[in-house]
Amino acid sequence: MSSLVGFLSLIFAIVINFYLFLSRYIFKFQKQKFNFFIRLSSLLTLLSFFSLMYAYVISDFSNYNVFQNSHSNKPLIYKISGTWGNHEGSMLLWLCILSIFSFFFSFTKNIEDDFQKLTLIIQAFLHILFGLFIVFTSNPFLVNSILVNEGLGLNPILQDPGLAVHPPILYAGYVGYSIVFSIAIAGLFQNTDDEWLYVAKKWSLISWTFLTGGIALGSYWAYYELGWGGWWFWDPVENISLMPWIAGLALVHSLMMVRGEQAIKKWIVFLSILCFSLSVFGTFLVRSGILTSVHSFAADASRGIFILLIFFIVTGFGFLVFLLKEPKKSNALNLLFINKVSALVINNILMIIAILTILLGTIYPIIIEVLYNKRISVGGPYFNSTVIPIMIPGFLLMSIAPILSWQTNKIKSSKKYVLSFIVLSVVVLLQSYFLNFNTWGFIGLLLGLWIILASMIAIFTSYKIKFSFKFFQVINPHVAHIGVGIAIIGITCSSVFQNELDFNLNEGDKFNINGKTVLFEKIETTNEINFQSLRGKFLFDIENNQSKEIEAGKNYYPVSKMITSEAGILHQWNKDIYFILGDQKNNEWFVKVLINPFVSFIWLGVIIMVYAGLIAVSRR
Amino acid sequence: MSRIFILTPLIVLLIICIFSLVYLLSGKDPNKPPSALLNKDVPIFESSSLYNAKDIIKTKDIKNKKTLINFFASWCSPCKIEHPLFFEIRRKYPELYLLGFNHKDPTSDAKKYLKDDGNPYDFVGVDSDGLIALEFGVFGLPETYLINEDGKIIYKFMGPITMDILKNEIEPLL
Repeated sequence: MSSLVGFLSLIFAIVINFYLFLSRYIFKFQKQKFNFFIRLSSLLTLLSFFSLMYAYVISDFSNYNVFQNSHSNKPLIYKISGTWGNHEGSMLLWLCILSIFSFFFSFTKNIEDDFQKLTLIIQAFLHILFGLFIVFTSNPFLVNSILVNEGLGLNPILQDPGLAVHPPILYAGYVGYSIVFSIAIAGLFQNTDDEWLYVAKKWSLISWTFLTGGIALGSYWAYYELGWGGWWFWDPVENISLMPWIAGLALVHSLMMVRGEQAIKKWIVFLSILCFSLSVFGTFLVRSGILTSVHSFAADASRGIFILLIFFIVTGFGFLVFLLKEPKKSNALNLLFINKVSALVINNILMIIAILTILLGTIYPIIIEVLYNKRISVGGPYFNSTVIPIMIPGFLLMSIAPILSWQTNKIKSSKKYVLSFIVLSVVVLLQSYFLNFNTWGFIGLLLGLWIILASMIAIFTSYKIKFSFKFFQVINPHVAHIGVGIAIIGITCSSVFQNELDFNLNEGDKFNINGKTVLFEKIETTNEINFQSLRGKFLFDIENNQSKEIEAGKNYYPVSKMITSEAGILHQWNKDIYFILGDQKNNEWFVKVLINPFVSFIWLGVIIMVYAGLIAVSRR
Repeated sequence: MSRIFILTPLIVLLIICIFSLVYLLSGKDPNKPPSALLNKDVPIFESSSLYNAKDIIKTKDIKNKKTLINFFASWCSPCKIEHPLFFEIRRKYPELYLLGFNHKDPTSDAKKYLKDDGNPYDFVGVDSDGLIALEFGVFGLPETYLINEDGKIIYKFMGPITMDILKNEIEPLL
């Protein structure tokens, strides 16, 4: 029953969007009627999504999708998250978020009616494309032809609270760029005044904030679930989320510049199209199964071709409109000045180079396989040695950009900055020299600290400190940059200064980590609802009265016959001690301990960036 | 921005789409990579005979003769299906050296299997721990490799070979 409701409302929503799409040429709706239909189609899509979720919640195995991906033994939260833990459901979620964005956009005020309508028509067009994709190649409402009482279970790796929310937030970021894309295209078509830039700014900030949160949740999940002790692997799927993120960052910054200079309108349009194109490209790469990684569900060529077509139409259309309806000639930029605009333009160029570098690394294996029928993989070493050096000058510029002026060549209180930079460099150099010197460690630490320091100086010298909402809005760009600085410190320390210790232990053995004694208490196995767990219990710092207990082990999921590793992490403010329980050999357990210094700074930095994103959205 | 600059994204788009399309249409399954060992030297192996533990075969023993290597097991039903074809090959190409590797199988089961269905191989090597299969990059049983006189792998097939495959893909190489 719920499958039928879901399918019908999905179809209805597509039909309404088709109707709306034609309305530009045939029906000519009034604004109110138009908005009514847009909202109706959003609600129908939502209804369709919730019908699928309902089928998951009540374990309705007459639905083929539920049968394939769920199991009645699963805890409720994972039944719910199971809705988008598979290809079909996740595409429906994608469509659902697309229509939610249209829904909210239809309420936007202080924007020309015609402009709003055109934007929503482009959204309707996107809705039709993705809707047809779901109906023809990835229908989640297929009925099971045989009668069954039990499902086949969900990928146990995905049974994790962090991962239950990761896809919706990430998708909100990806799909949010559809609105920005539509706004930019509508802007090109109508060639009106620049009011739309302010609307675009808000939506691109929202999307970027979601995307940041989504990526961070994903990498946090990888950190404690995959059990490798790292949090970023340059996995192709991570790369394709990073590309729109960088493009979105460039876009947000370009939109900030609008008030200072009109010349970068072209950039903004270009970046708006690029952001959404990269999002769709990412969807194509993952959903077609071209890339194999923890994220791909199933390879299916027909799906791949369909979504490649969508990617081609959307991107091709976007850039073609851009080519034909280029924004009016604007003043040439004077990049000789050392001011905000030139700093941002240079940063934009660096970001585009970084995107192209990541893009090349990501699709290189495909090109090579087509040309030479050879399978190669491009991994961490390539990205680390290309992307990071490209980004470094950008980070340096970023640290001083907020204090540059909009138009002139002057830097306010430049002496103070130069002096503090020199002092800081000496301090970091001495610190690195006496501990253990590492070039990348030195550069990273200096950069991170310098960004924080420069932003602090800027806040304290340029504004009067008060604790009002307005004040936090004003200093927001600096706060965002402090977040980046903190994240850079976390990234540098946790990757460069990571320490690995290996032990072979019997139950009851004691061993030493950084001068603290750790007791390997015992191994425990228990039966949970849908898995068996094996846990090694460790007592950290037993000489201290407040010793801490850490559990590391594995889960075995009998339904899908999979084993997942569950790392035990002891969080301290300045480091994470990361326990991985390996295999048992000759009665001894292999235990790996990773010491990740300052890893929590990465998450802290991201939280600050997300906070800054939210504050920026609230600002008019 | 000059016009060329604005054209670039379209050109990049076109290139990406063409490559992706060719990739998709070529029916490549990303889960089954083309063998990295193709046109490479045969991996170094050493295995004892199923029937006589003292009888050892090494990589250098198959130098200078064309060899067909087949990984099989008594518990593998697709192996049973392709099994009769090896007698066919044996009959048609008596020069070809047929080397079978018995994969992760108890010796008694393997002997019984070859007794019941017949033994087409010149030599049956034991690979009880699957290490030789690992060296060859075996994905699943059965798998068949053709090695030329220079000791290079010139052909690999995953799954049971059929009459068609024998005719169209293996025989031209013999």
